[in-house]
Amino acid sequence: MPVDPMLQGLVTGFAVEAQEVIQKVTMDLLELEREGLDAGALARLYVRLGRHLHTLKGSASSLGLQDLGDIAHKLEDALAPLKASTRKMPRSVVDVLLHGLDLFMLRAQAHADGRGDALPDPAAALAQLVAEGPPPETVGALLAGAATASAPVEPSATPEENALVEAASALNPQDAVPESADTGWRVSVRQVTSLMREVERLREVRLRVEERGRELDRVVTVLAKQGLLAETAEARTLLSGTSRSLRTDGEETSDIVDALEDGLKAITTRPVRTILDPLQRMVRDLSRQLGKEARLSVVGSELSLDRRLLEKLQGALVHLLRNAVDHGLEMPSQREKAGKHHEGALTLRIEQQGNLLFLECSDDGAGIDVIRVRKVAESRGVVTSDEAERLNENQVRDLIFRPGFSTRSDVTDTSGRGVGLDAVRASVEGLQGRIEVNSTPGQGTRFVMTLPVDLGSSPVLVVRALEQLVGLPMLAVEATQLARADSLRIGKRKAHLEYQGQLLPVVDLGARLGLRALAPPVEGQPLLIVQSGGKRVALGVDAVVGDRDLVIRPLPSEVRDVPAWQGAATLSRGELLLICRPDWLVTESGQAAVAAQRRALVVDDSLTARALHRAMLEAGGFSVHLAASGARALDRLATDTYDVVICDLDMEEMDGTQLIARLREKKETSSLPVILVSAHDSAAARERGMAAGADGYLSKRECAAGRLLAEVLDVMSRRGGRA
Amino acid sequence: MKILPRSMEEAQEQEAVELLERRASRLREQAETTVEEAVHWIAEFPLGEERYALSLEMLRAALPLRMVTPVPLSAPHVVGVLRFQGQVLSALSLASMLGGHGWRQDPAVLLVVDRGDGELCALDCEAIPRPTTLPMSVVEAARVRAEGPVMEVFTQDRQLIHLIDLKRLFTTRSTGGRNAR
Repeated sequence: MPVDPMLQGLVTGFAVEAQEVIQKVTMDLLELEREGLDAGALARLYVRLGRHLHTLKGSASSLGLQDLGDIAHKLEDALAPLKASTRKMPRSVVDVLLHGLDLFMLRAQAHADGRGDALPDPAAALAQLVAEGPPPETVGALLAGAATASAPVEPSATPEENALVEAASALNPQDAVPESADTGWRVSVRQVTSLMREVERLREVRLRVEERGRELDRVVTVLAKQGLLAETAEARTLLSGTSRSLRTDGEETSDIVDALEDGLKAITTRPVRTILDPLQRMVRDLSRQLGKEARLSVVGSELSLDRRLLEKLQGALVHLLRNAVDHGLEMPSQREKAGKHHEGALTLRIEQQGNLLFLECSDDGAGIDVIRVRKVAESRGVVTSDEAERLNENQVRDLIFRPGFSTRSDVTDTSGRGVGLDAVRASVEGLQGRIEVNSTPGQGTRFVMTLPVDLGSSPVLVVRALEQLVGLPMLAVEATQLARADSLRIGKRKAHLEYQGQLLPVVDLGARLGLRALAPPVEGQPLLIVQSGGKRVALGVDAVVGDRDLVIRPLPSEVRDVPAWQGAATLSRGELLLICRPDWLVTESGQAAVAAQRRALVVDDSLTARALHRAMLEAGGFSVHLAASGARALDRLATDTYDVVICDLDMEEMDGTQLIARLREKKETSSLPVILVSAHDSAAARERGMAAGADGYLSKRECAAGRLLAEVLDVMSRRGGRA
Repeated sequence: MKILPRSMEEAQEQEAVELLERRASRLREQAETTVEEAVHWIAEFPLGEERYALSLEMLRAALPLRMVTPVPLSAPHVVGVLRFQGQVLSALSLASMLGGHGWRQDPAVLLVVDRGDGELCALDCEAIPRPTTLPMSVVEAARVRAEGPVMEVFTQDRQLIHLIDLKRLFTTRSTGGRNAR
């Protein structure tokens, strides 16, 4: 039968609207069957439910979709006896209503797809729906024991209101409908990604424009210094004007970049709740199927995230929750015996810190039985018995992510096939994220997924450790204060800060990043209270530079796995700022073990030369610190001790010979072995270096791995060091 | 037979004919060479005392080595990170990647290259590379012989060039940092 294209468009729009309304009705139903709601809240839910069902009925009827109108009518009938009770809804009624909604949605989708004529007669389905539901007269019995509601009941929708809703929906269905696929554009992921990259390029152009403005200002300053003030007056005025215009242009470009980014964000993201809300229903149905009771709480569902990320995460979340209900939660009677509430608590917590998304799925069930996991892994051939013996508890817990692992001996609809957590890990790793599991016997299990996200800016606190600027997600920084001797407890190996009645370990950022040796905090040093995952530390930095709102980009593959860093952001002058991961900062480090290593200080004004020397020396077992100038090397030597110094001969400001002279003047460093390296390979340069007091001299050409190391060890043994 | 001296015009004409013949012969040779010898374009640069090269098709840009942010705790061959056309790229020490090579002058140039997997990265370099060619057959033969990422190729004037196969170089390297999981 030919269908009027306009009507078909309206039906398609109606299907989208119906899905949204049904999702709301589902959430209300799940809320209504829970205990603990007060009468007022229950009444409001019943009223809202009635309105939603009535809207569905009205909209369907107005489009001539009589079957859908009839289903909605039956659902209203099932609801009617309960509306005045203001008691929690019996489970059997919730089941009927949910089943009815499924039926409604299936048929609505079929109508939208143009398959309405092929649908079976709804009468049978309706009859079944009615048969499944408790007869109206027994609803009262289901509510047995319920006292007459004492709380005032809000009036349900008046006929006038209902008529208004119905008329509005019928007249203007598209007003209530979000933009459907027919009224929007279809764009490929690549097109959007490429647009995002262009926006980032525009941001760089803006930075360059700012830099040009600063250059013009410098030209004006230079001209003013030439003593030709009168002659250059006109040129300086013109240049100053151009600089001002550039600044204005830069600001406008900045606004455009921000607007473009906001627009892109709106296009490419959607609220997390769109994937979380349907999970409520899944948890309910599954727990009922297994004879368990579970309640899912969601924290952070208001966040908006990349649509592609959400689609990929949905499967992982379904797996985790099914796993939690099936394996994690105990039967209600067992829970009560263990002193827990008969209803198991599942929690999904979503939090974004900078460009990292933390997704936590936890339950308060029995926890992971490590002994059983070890045994099953052995019996299923996931690990050999020798391997299993060597694994610690954390490693045993990680076995649950291995392919083929399942503690179920039988295959059920829910589990037992050994497919699940390995798929979850694969999908998380496919998104360049990672997943960890923590579990306490008898108390529950917690899965934490950490994923990088691309879009949006976030507040970052910029700090400095030596010459390295480091960004910290502001959300992780609780407070900043200056170190005071009376609040510090300094031990032999560790320092602690007394903060709000707690002793927090003090972490020196410079030492943690391997930039210098570990040293206790000094009076007046800035200390930041950094928290992550419930742990807190006092982070010692050399300076707090300030806070910025920055777009954090993912790191390239060569450095992505360095656990200290979560991304990089562009600062106003175009340089990159590395963003530190708070969860890495609050974890224990192995710094004590490093202390026994031989230590070398590399002094070179070339970044790549420093990197090369470092690589060669680290390969030889040295702990290496770097300095970009003679002056910085002296600073470093004033606080740290080294076994050897490798220094460039030709540096600006203070060259290698001058540095050696300064070192030989001081008692502490007078016998410190120093090897000069230089691009000059001439005998004269070598002579000059040795005459200045160097213990060794190598041309950079000679600095192949073995040669440098051999020279270093030779020099150290001659000086009587720890060669 | 009496030999008559050539007039000036005759001599010039003769020279012109010879010149044209030489040119024609040279062009014929070139054409034959072109047909026989397909060439591989490379970007050649010094590294210490040796000459290295990479396929020109993998080279995206040559930049001055500045605005590189060091990455503490990264792998030793990582010099730092930098921005390039809206992306964050790693700057890597080629000398370090090739196993601790000596160098003549501190690198001042970054070569942005395709790693062979579509991702870009920057390699440090002592000087701006020179575009040149190698016979394709020589490159192919070297590729077959080579087991690692560096192929030894001799030019027609018997100069040794170390041709880097970027795809192999990045496939064989582990990417983790010093504290990588």
